[in-house]
This record gives sequence, structure tokens and C-alpha cells, in this order.
Amino acid sequence: MSCDDVDRALMEEPFTSRFSAQAQEHLRGCRSCRELVRAVRLPVSADLPSPKTLRRIELDIVANLRPVRPVAPKRLFATLVAIFVCVVALSVYRIGAFAIAVMSPLQTGAMLGTLAISSGLLAYSLVQQAIPGSRHRISPRLLPISILIALTVVVVLLFQFEQERNFWANAWWCIRTGAAIGALAAVPFWLVLRRGAILSPSMTGLAAGLFAGLVGMAALEIHCPNLDIWHILVSHIGVGVLGATAGLMVGSFPRWR
Amino acid sequence: MRENVAAQRSYADLDHWMERYQQADPHAPAALVSALSPALLRFFRSQVANREQADDLLQETWLRIHRVRHTYRPGEPVLPWIYAIARRVRVDGYRRTRRIIRHETAMEALPEPPALLEPQNPLPAFETLVATLPDAQREVITMLKVGGLSLEEVARATSSTVGAVKQKAHRAYERLRKLLHAGAVHDSWGGAE
Repeated sequence: MSCDDVDRALMEEPFTSRFSAQAQEHLRGCRSCRELVRAVRLPVSADLPSPKTLRRIELDIVANLRPVRPVAPKRLFATLVAIFVCVVALSVYRIGAFAIAVMSPLQTGAMLGTLAISSGLLAYSLVQQAIPGSRHRISPRLLPISILIALTVVVVLLFQFEQERNFWANAWWCIRTGAAIGALAAVPFWLVLRRGAILSPSMTGLAAGLFAGLVGMAALEIHCPNLDIWHILVSHIGVGVLGATAGLMVGSFPRWR
Repeated sequence: MRENVAAQRSYADLDHWMERYQQADPHAPAALVSALSPALLRFFRSQVANREQADDLLQETWLRIHRVRHTYRPGEPVLPWIYAIARRVRVDGYRRTRRIIRHETAMEALPEPPALLEPQNPLPAFETLVATLPDAQREVITMLKVGGLSLEEVARATSSTVGAVKQKAHRAYERLRKLLHAGAVHDSWGGAE
């Protein structure tokens, strides 16, 4: 039994009055653990809220009490995915799917597969963020940056540098189109998520913005036949970055006031 | 300790009351407010120290809980849900206070301090002890001890993993050990043992 085991016992049973025989033995021989256990068991403040305050809170709540329907995570997830698929499908129907013909099966599979997995994980993370006290299997802070890194790596590994005329003119067309598609998707996303962005509106805004950006990016990946690395990085992944930035700003807006 | 165990037992009914609250049962708010407010107030007291601010945060927390009560999922533990919201309210309160302080103009001659609204009792020992810890570690220790949350529940309330919570608690205990050894905390307790 070591000091770490005493820490573990304190974490798991903060109120326990009795430790195991081994722990007791360790405590007898370890002064610092003995002092720590005594300190952690110090009484907590006996401060109680005043009855007047509690009454006021209760009255405020009861005055506005009406039934609510609990949020359904599976339905929320399905709605986000459905919006994603519908907007991508509509956009591709409108602008055409020329990239599929020029990309190799590996490029198509890897790009669209990465986009699909990223979007699924992001939708899952958004659902978790919308429900306080959820179990977070993926860090909502790390996920957006991991997605952007993963997409960049896939592009760098699978595509090649190509000489391109009118780089900025082509890039501008893709950025404008992708951003417009992302903005189109952002409206239903906002309608779905607005009641759930409670704990960290800026983080939820960033994730939702990136999710909308991925809609635009997915449409561009299916449409745009330009396979130059720089073009894809700047004007396709750039749409995701733009979406994430816009979402972060919208999410942070209430704090500016 | 007995009080904490009793609190744990009464927390078992919270799921039931939370569901009734969502169904607009007029008795549910009173049951929830009376069961959870003492622990929430102690949580805020250990974070902000000032009773008046802690009272404000408590009221703000209940207003927010009421506004987002649809986000509670029946069958899920109530405490992580409540503490996740309380934690957010505390962060917003901290930011608001900082913003106000930043916009305040320093006066050349300071006015006489007004009579204090509350007697300046020294903080109780546990609060004094955890006040020496960094914010994240204090939050975890307070949730474990004052809120009576399990490691899993603290992880849910802080949007992190059980491993991260364990690490924070372990670091907090290490730090407390050092402080206790150095006698720094002892001195600030006034020699309380």
C-alpha cells in the first residue's frame, strides 16, 4: 500500500470512515497521508441558503412551469446527419459531380471516407455538447483540430502538386461556392442546436461551424475536378476553417455584450 | 459525514423528481430546490468565497436549470447534469465579475468602505484548505467531497474523462500533502488539526 493507493481510496470513497486494514497500516506509518486524510475529512461549511431565497427560487420556477419534452440524442444525431446528406446531395445535383470521374478510387474512397467519419464524429460530439452531464468519449476541444489535421494529411498523401493557371480565380470560385453551401446548411443546424448550446456556446459554435464547413467541403470534393494539393488545401479545407471560425464568432457573440 | 451519507440517499430520488419536473409537477421544483441548493451553495462558496456572490450564482443556476430542463434525459444521473450547469454559471459569473472590474475607474481618493453586509467570519476549514489549490483541482475536490459525486459523475460534469479527473484529484492531494507538510495550510487554519 502506497500514498497513491490512499489517494485512490480518497477519490473513490471521499466520505469513508474506515479504510482497509492495509491502508490503516500505511496511515500509521505515513505522517503526510495521515494529515491529508484528516484534512480531507474536515467539516464542510454549514452555510445553508436562506429559506427566503429558496422560496423565491421555487416561486419563480413554479410561475413558469409547463411540460417539456426531453431531448432525444438519437433523433438529434439523425437530424444532423440527414441535414448534412440532404444539403450535400442538393448541392451536387445543382453544381455537378465532375470530381468523381477524375479521382482514382483510392482518392475518392479516402477523401469521402475521411469526410464521412469526421462528420459522424462531429455530429456525435455536437449531440454530447447539447446535453449537459454527457459522457464525453471524444474531447470536444481536440476533435475539430484533429479533423482538420486528418483531412490535411489525407490530401497531402493522396494528391500531387500541379501547375495551375488562375490559381486564385479558381480558388475563389470554390471558396465562394463551398461557403454558400456551408451557410445554407448552417441555418438548419442552428435551428436544431440552438436550444442545446448551453455549456460552451463558443465550443458548440466552433463545432457546428466546422460541421457546416464540412458540408461545403463534401460538395466541393464531389464536384471540383481540380486535384492540385494547394487548391484542395486552400479552397476546400479552407471552407471548413472558415466555417469553424464563423461558428466560433457566432458562439462567442453573447459574451461580447 | 453522516450528513453527506444522508444527502447521498436523498439524491437517489432526484431522478424521479427531475422527470416530474419535466412533466410540470408543481411539487417537483420545491423537492429539487430544497435537496440540491445546500450542496450547490457550498460548491459556489468554495469557489468564490463571498456569500452574496454565491447566493446570486445559486439563483442564476436555478434559472438556467429551469430554462434548459428539456436537456435532462430521464434515467441518466441528475448530479452531473446539475453540476455541469452550475459549473457553467460559475464560469460566466467569473467572466462577468472580471469584465466589471476591468471597466471600473480607479478613484484618486477612495471613499470610506461601507459597513459590511455579512460578518467577516473566517472561512471554514475545508474551504480554506481547497482555496490553496488551482481552479481545476479545487473544482474536482469540491465536487467529490461537497457534491458527493463519483469520479464518473465528476468526469461527466466537467466534460472530461475519468482518467483526467483522477489525475487532477491526485495532483490536488499531492499539493495538499506538500502544503500540509510545509505547515502553510496549518498556519492559515490557525493551527487547527
